[in-house]
Amino acid sequence: MRIMIVIALLIFPFTASAGKFLSVEDRAEIVKEQVKGNDSYQAHLARKLASFAEEEVYQHDPQTAQVFIKMAEEAAAKAGNAK
Amino acid sequence: MNRTMKKFSLIAMAALIPACASQPPHTDIAQLDEARALIAKAKAAGAEQCAAERQAEAVAKFYAAAHEFSEGNIHPDEQANLVAASIKAAKQAYGQAMRGCKPEIIALEGVYFETNSAELTSASITVLDHAVDVLNKRSGIKVEVASHTDSRGKATYNEALSALRAKRVMDYLTTHGVDASRLSAHGYGETQPIADNATSAGRAKNRRVELRVR
Repeated sequence: MRIMIVIALLIFPFTASAGKFLSVEDRAEIVKEQVKGNDSYQAHLARKLASFAEEEVYQHDPQTAQVFIKMAEEAAAKAGNAK
Repeated sequence: MNRTMKKFSLIAMAALIPACASQPPHTDIAQLDEARALIAKAKAAGAEQCAAERQAEAVAKFYAAAHEFSEGNIHPDEQANLVAASIKAAKQAYGQAMRGCKPEIIALEGVYFETNSAELTSASITVLDHAVDVLNKRSGIKVEVASHTDSRGKATYNEALSALRAKRVMDYLTTHGVDASRLSAHGYGETQPIADNATSAGRAKNRRVELRVR
């Protein structure tokens, strides 16, 4: 039982953070690549939010950067392939 | 609290910490009300389609401003700048949408129907024949025949009647040589007035048929 709890404690944060092993800058690049050539509202929103995330990294605010990059990724996913 | 409960609490906290760390900023802030209202207005005008970049800028700056407010009053200038930028972008998006989203409309002034009927009056034929000429000259365009009523009567009845009238006009155009693949018909009922329904003059303007270039 104790082992299971320890495993759960270790696994839960990592599964919730899936995809966050990459740096914010790398994730911003992925977002921008994902919406390249896409002129939709969600694509523009994804690009702008990704830029904000990068700015926050430069301003040494990693927590805010995480917030904006996550929002950028969600917007990019909504943008889909609508070019 | 027994040991099992403590363990479950620890697991729950461990699961929630990373999820909470990247929640969008709280936006229910009075200082953002003007920007929020303008963004909504621009969206309603079709800005996400016709002014996508400007609208996205307004929304992104709105979130950036919300984030600044969430940090307290550390950077008041930055807060004000971001709110102003969001408002400015939303206004531009609205203006762009109003110019770009409005379809070209070929008004069919003089197309009338018998009361509570989809039968065209004889006076309407001349107008529709002119519309056929216009559509033949502009053979590259597709149009929606849009029919509207005034607000008298039940909304459901008006919608159904306007749909019948739009179809009747479309049938006239197709039987006089306009390719059906270029046409569609839609009855908007009383939902899109262009004048005041409280006056008879206004109601007369609202009862109309138009061709919307698509």
